[in-house]
Amino acid sequence: MKLRKKLAVVGVATALVAGVVLVAPAQAASKDLVVGITLDIDKLDPQGATSFSTVRALGLVYGSLVEVGPKLQIRPGLATSWGFNATGTQLRLHLRKGVKFQDGTPFDAQDVKASLERILDPASKAAARANIATIKSITASGLDVTLNLTIPNVPILAALDGVNMAMLSKKDIAAGNIGKTVNGTGPFKYVSWDAGQSVKLIKNPTYWGGAPKLDSVTFRVIPTEASILSALNAGTVQFAVITSPLVAKQVGSNLTMYKTPGLAYMALQINARQAPFNNLNVRLALQCAISRAEVIKTAASGDGSVIGPITSPAYKSDPKARPCPEADIAKAKAYLTAGGYPNGLTIKTMVAPTQQATIAGIGQSLKSQLAKAGITMELDVVDDSTYVSRWLAADFGTAIANNGGKIDPDTMYTRYFTSTGNLNKVAGYSSATLDSLFIQGKSSGSVTQRTAIYKAISAELENNAAWVWLFAPLEYRVTAKNVTGFIPLATGSLLELRKVDMN
Amino acid sequence: MQGISTLRRLFFSSTFIRIASAITTLFGISIFVFLVLRVIPGNTITGAFGIETGALNPQQIAELRHYYGIDQPMIMQYFSWISSFLSGNFGYSYATGRSVFALTKVALPVTIELAFIGTILGVIMGIAIGMFSARKPGSFRDFGGQLFGLLALAIPGFVLSTAIVTIMANKFHYFPNSLEYMAPWKDPWMNFQQMMFPGLVLGIAVAAPVMRTTRSALLETIDKDFVRTALGKGVPARKVQFKHVLRNSLIPIVTMTGIQFGYLLGGAVIVEKIFAMPGMGRQVLEAITRREYATVQSSVMVFAIMFVTINILTDLVYRRVDPRIK
Amino acid sequence: MAKKKEVSQRGAIHYYLQSTSGIVGAVLLLFMIVVSICAAMGWLPHNPLDQNVDNLLHAPSSKFWFGTDDFGRDVFSRTLDGMRRSLTVSITAVSLAAIVGITLGILGGYLGKWFDMVITRVSDVFFAFPAILLALAIVASLGNAWYETSLAIAIVYTPIFIRVARGPVLSVKEMDYIKVSRILGFSSPRILIKHILPNVFAPIVVQIALSLSWAILTESGLSFLGLGTQPPNASLGLMVSDAQPLAAFAWWTLVFPSLFITIVVVGLNLVGDGLRDALDPARRSS
Repeated sequence: MKLRKKLAVVGVATALVAGVVLVAPAQAASKDLVVGITLDIDKLDPQGATSFSTVRALGLVYGSLVEVGPKLQIRPGLATSWGFNATGTQLRLHLRKGVKFQDGTPFDAQDVKASLERILDPASKAAARANIATIKSITASGLDVTLNLTIPNVPILAALDGVNMAMLSKKDIAAGNIGKTVNGTGPFKYVSWDAGQSVKLIKNPTYWGGAPKLDSVTFRVIPTEASILSALNAGTVQFAVITSPLVAKQVGSNLTMYKTPGLAYMALQINARQAPFNNLNVRLALQCAISRAEVIKTAASGDGSVIGPITSPAYKSDPKARPCPEADIAKAKAYLTAGGYPNGLTIKTMVAPTQQATIAGIGQSLKSQLAKAGITMELDVVDDSTYVSRWLAADFGTAIANNGGKIDPDTMYTRYFTSTGNLNKVAGYSSATLDSLFIQGKSSGSVTQRTAIYKAISAELENNAAWVWLFAPLEYRVTAKNVTGFIPLATGSLLELRKVDMN
Repeated sequence: MQGISTLRRLFFSSTFIRIASAITTLFGISIFVFLVLRVIPGNTITGAFGIETGALNPQQIAELRHYYGIDQPMIMQYFSWISSFLSGNFGYSYATGRSVFALTKVALPVTIELAFIGTILGVIMGIAIGMFSARKPGSFRDFGGQLFGLLALAIPGFVLSTAIVTIMANKFHYFPNSLEYMAPWKDPWMNFQQMMFPGLVLGIAVAAPVMRTTRSALLETIDKDFVRTALGKGVPARKVQFKHVLRNSLIPIVTMTGIQFGYLLGGAVIVEKIFAMPGMGRQVLEAITRREYATVQSSVMVFAIMFVTINILTDLVYRRVDPRIK
Repeated sequence: MAKKKEVSQRGAIHYYLQSTSGIVGAVLLLFMIVVSICAAMGWLPHNPLDQNVDNLLHAPSSKFWFGTDDFGRDVFSRTLDGMRRSLTVSITAVSLAAIVGITLGILGGYLGKWFDMVITRVSDVFFAFPAILLALAIVASLGNAWYETSLAIAIVYTPIFIRVARGPVLSVKEMDYIKVSRILGFSSPRILIKHILPNVFAPIVVQIALSLSWAILTESGLSFLGLGTQPPNASLGLMVSDAQPLAAFAWWTLVFPSLFITIVVVGLNLVGDGLRDALDPARRSS
């Protein structure tokens, strides 16, 4: 009897303790932020980082010369002041004093020179090489750097922002350690990478912007966004970037949701060098048959805005400045007849749904809308890598693309729509007009002048229906309620986590 | 004397044949997976660089082809991979900077443990419900048991998984799988919590066929004469069930269990995805997306070797257990 | 001989009708087949592909009996069309697997020696190969049309049919009356058709019913991974997969397709049970 009673008490106690352990969410004593990501990072070299997770994680560890602020203004980063010469062929930057790399070595102009030269060197396969290709030579002394350019290139200043322009230690570059050792000037220090599972960062107490309030940031891999939302609800994850509008819809009032317009945009790319798309009337028919508002409503649950080609805020295209700002089926049919297809036609569209959450929805919406104008759209669904290899070979008639925007329209489109651009084959369209306009835009230093130039570029692209620009989806960032001070950036960077606090 | 040595020779030779055919099968698989991967469009470069591949000049592409080992003729690539594999070098995963062997060393135990737990849970549930049902065939409880079996079969795994995750996380704020994965030797209690739900989902899927096999095997055996004799002699019904009936019904149950376990070892990809388990299924799927040939090939070979071994073992157990084959 | 077969066939149907599971399964299955035929003939209240921007995610109503989805499409019409597509994919896949598998299995078992060894080895290779990888490879290189999904599933299921067909052939081959027939000079095809096929019939028919149900579930798993039916076409698996994020506030998008999958899978399995009872006298349970 007594023994049984004792056992019962022990049993109940164990159950209670187990219950508490089970039910209580994992609360840490220190301020540790866990960020949920669906895909693991794929490298440790910031200058070669292209996948979202890698860009976001390494963007907290490394710094660049300039930064882009919440209002998309260029502000000081590792450089505190700068200026072009009169002809715009020379950019001088003065660096911040007292900055140290995470391994303790001081940061100076020699590091900038070595980093930029590494980007320019084809052997490093740096992602941003084309954006600064106009650099002819670099002189560095003390805290001053001078970039000598081959042609006037004002947009190069904006191009100096971002993780692909990370400033590396000349020591690491010389030793060939980039991608193996992680040593930057950013607010968080790299600790470890558990492949397929997590990346751990801790705060950098000597950060030039002041030590972060968070003690650590961990990026944890949880492959589906639905599970990430569940983790947010369970309290095991406190921050996430959500891309699916349907998942975003389920975010409850127990979490904080930031919906911000981004620079990325969705477009129906057309290969204007392939029949029947080499026929301007066919392209215009496509443009006029589509109601972008309807695409946003169905594919993005209403979270997006109609855009023109240029999403850079200072030079934003007017979405109404196009042949058919609203869908006009009659006009579309007229264009088809003018193009020689009075009974409609069938087109194929390459689609990779895994690239972005709204792509599958866009495909369905477009198919349904184009059918009303007599255009049968066949969706050619492929996986990401297949899409890339066919996309690069321009082996498609039309394709639904999710392209990144930049704060400067030059870096956004030079590689696509100039005849010498390395992605012009993919873009499928170029003209002498565009070529000369892009050169003018690059070299002009006056904002008024540039505004006019890029307005002309936009008009040229829309009137020739080079592509059908659809919309810019809102970006969703979700945090736990106790995470305060976060400012989302349209570039997608999570840099503002350096100011964030957890209560 | 001669009889025994003949028997021994027979046994050895049939085992030998079995192993020889298993090796042939494995070679076939290695060639098949190698070819299948090369047929899919895209390659390691597009997998690694995405659309930025367009920014690479021909010289860079040539360097990368050499770096990734895809500039060699196919036969060379195959032989260089298979010979490394056989000597224990499974290849290199460029994305993670780790050897495939190191990655597999971490992922394989997760998959094995999950398969194990799923199979055991499934077998226990299946046999228990099967016995429960078979005792009174045609009764209400039989109907209930069969209904469970059918529903367990019919509800897709990803529906069940998502439902569990959503309810547990939203209502009870409990989602151990969103925490760092803990191996059983590092943190057994957390490991148990993380294996619990995915194991349950897999177990339910396994329980369905096991339950139906158990039930029909039991019903078949119960009819047999020796059972009636035992019951007639006054042996209690439960004892009869366990000792005589179940033992004789074991063969199909064992076969079914072997098949299920082998199948689960393939890395239950969907469950691993939803429950964020860092197992082989995810490893293969992500490597396919990145077109990391060595990772996919070596991982598939590891799985195939385990699968084939399980089949041989199941076969041997089958031979020992089945009183008819000796 | 002939008389015996007639009696046993009549007997089989008689036994099938005595099995409760068989009858229930047949009713469920028949219902789903009728539903699919309606969808195939276009006898649906709405076009499954018609998008209605003003009717997004509406609950079941008199106009939309099962409600609408996130594109304003009628869930009822899509569910029925989805049933048709899931059954089409499944039947195509299993037919292909069965035809190829039975032929190879019977030939392998009957001809023996090298032929049998090669077939068994190749079959083992496919059996041990992860199905997902195979499906991904086929889809990535050929495309995602429904027949390519069927092909992927067919390849994965062929080994089972080879195995199921081969077994009885091996055991029957050794029987005296077969050996006598061969000595007497009866042609192989005649032996195959008269004696071997009837023995293979029962397990094959049962396996077909089971494989049909597995194929439907496999298609839904593939759709979840993005490898199966592609939008905007509806298959039950794709509808269930798409409904995951919607279920919390639009239960009808998940419940109805899941219900239909469950019913058809349960039906097929019950039919399989009934067939097993009817065709194999030793295994008849009350």
